Amino acid sequence: MSRLRIALTKGRLKDETMKLFEKMGLDCEPLYNPGRRLIHSIPNYPLDIVLAKGPDVITYVEHGVCHMGIVGKDSILELGRSFYEVLDLGIGKCRFALAVQEGSDFYGTYKTRRIASKYPNVTREFFEKKGMDVSVIRIEGSVELAPILGLADAIVDLVETGDTLRANGLIPIEDVAQISARLIVNTPAMKLYPTEILDFVERCRTVIQGTPQASA
Amino acid sequence: MQYTVNTPEGTRDRLFGECRERRKVQSALTGLFKRRGYHEIITPEVEYYDLFIQSGNPLPQESMLKSIDRSGKILVMRPDCTAPIARVAATKLQNEPLPQRLYYNQTIFRSGTAHLGNSHEIAQCGVELIGASGEKADAEMLSMAVDALAACGLSIFHIEIGHAGLFRALTKDLGAPQETVEQMRSYLEQKNFAALDDLLLPYQNASGYPVLCRLAYLFGGPEVLEEAEALSGEAGAEEIRYLKSLYQRLEQAGCGGRIQFDLGLAPQLDYYTGVVFRGYVEGAGSAVLSGGRYDTLLRDFGRNAPATGFAIDVDGVAQTLPPVELPKATQLVHYEADRLREALSCIESSQGACELSPCETLEETIALAKEKKMNQIIILETGKARVLNI
Repeated sequence: MSRLRIALTKGRLKDETMKLFEKMGLDCEPLYNPGRRLIHSIPNYPLDIVLAKGPDVITYVEHGVCHMGIVGKDSILELGRSFYEVLDLGIGKCRFALAVQEGSDFYGTYKTRRIASKYPNVTREFFEKKGMDVSVIRIEGSVELAPILGLADAIVDLVETGDTLRANGLIPIEDVAQISARLIVNTPAMKLYPTEILDFVERCRTVIQGTPQASA
Repeated sequence: MQYTVNTPEGTRDRLFGECRERRKVQSALTGLFKRRGYHEIITPEVEYYDLFIQSGNPLPQESMLKSIDRSGKILVMRPDCTAPIARVAATKLQNEPLPQRLYYNQTIFRSGTAHLGNSHEIAQCGVELIGASGEKADAEMLSMAVDALAACGLSIFHIEIGHAGLFRALTKDLGAPQETVEQMRSYLEQKNFAALDDLLLPYQNASGYPVLCRLAYLFGGPEVLEEAEALSGEAGAEEIRYLKSLYQRLEQAGCGGRIQFDLGLAPQLDYYTGVVFRGYVEGAGSAVLSGGRYDTLLRDFGRNAPATGFAIDVDGVAQTLPPVELPKATQLVHYEADRLREALSCIESSQGACELSPCETLEETIALAKEKKMNQIIILETGKARVLNI
């Protein structure tokens, strides 16, 4: 085992992850000007970094082509699958919320409501737990449009500040789940390279919690 | 009518080399099982859905491929080999003395989400030891697991052992509500170190606490048993002692180097009752072997007998092995019609290096050899044989 390979979620989470890595003492220079390259090597730690979309991070880790991944809990909740979810990194924080048009009474009817979401599984599960029948409609882009256009009674979506919702006359009425980025590990990789992976996990954990795990 | 020419999601055709790779693993495994005195069982590809519900098998119903028979009963494509074998052992074999040693070499079917790159048909080879409990039976099964992966020709692999009773024992005196315990189990299974710590904080005075809060980290060589033993109070001590003693047996049997532990293994607690184990191989993205002890399974079918066993994902093993090179035929045999027998023995003795030409004339055979990029023709004529280079 020479180098670990980790898949990072592209976009805003990547910047926060780089800050975390730098606190761990990793030299992230190659990531500042990635150009079109998708794989980068950390010069002072045996780690290669792959940049991918969130759901792809899960796929790469599950198939074992990346040993570890950093991905939002939103993708994990939506896609499930099997791997170790070892740490809550406390970055990329936001929440899944149920939002409706201002002034509408979402629960005040016996009609089956229609919910638009980019996350149909999360949505279905949320209402299943409530014992409520809803019809879930998958929307890929700006979900806020669906209630405005009259396609849906409500949406389930990621909410950070709520500005986009407010700008479109929607208000969050209920939290569905709290979201943050997680460090995930391929199951056989953890067993085949425990020293290397636990070293990385503990460095992460030390930075997040400020103290190393007390070892017995 | 236009027929589609592609295969359904999750299935694929396997050609030539891939078939040999799968068969090689299967014959290595079944050869070993037979030598160890296990007998083969073939169960139907299709079973009643109820069988898998009755067996307490925790397969979600959406993972089973279903159809309905003429009387309206729900059928499934066999999603697992253990429940059907438990059914056989509890019914057809009910008057046979125990233990029974059984093996299978069958395909299971799972319906999954599309486009994940997973196969919905999984070739499994596995064994069940029915009617034997205790350390000797567990050691027999585990050494078989080690020997099975070695027989396939794997070099970097290990079998990892846990105990389903350990988590149960450690959480028994916690005084935590059932949902909290289940949440702990789920964090433990995910090795969600930090979340498990937080959840355990209120239970610091429980006797199981010192082990529980290290449990997710207690994986690796036999030294984790020492660590667990040093930390453990009364709760869990019995299971840890059992694993230590089991390890000793395996070491004496020459399997020590292949054995690892994960004391945090706590899968499907209503199914597994004792030792649980997995096999990991370098190059495979998930466990290639999985098994354990399920002493209550046969009771669900009306016969009270302990049981243990494991299944190997044949293709999971095969894809980590070097690819099988098919012999490439380089010669065509052109023969006079009355010399078929000689031509056939010529083909057989060449072990794939030559092929029979079906052509009537030598000119046609030469053209065929050129098309197939072969460089020699063996000509069997009345009374003599000669070789023609192309």
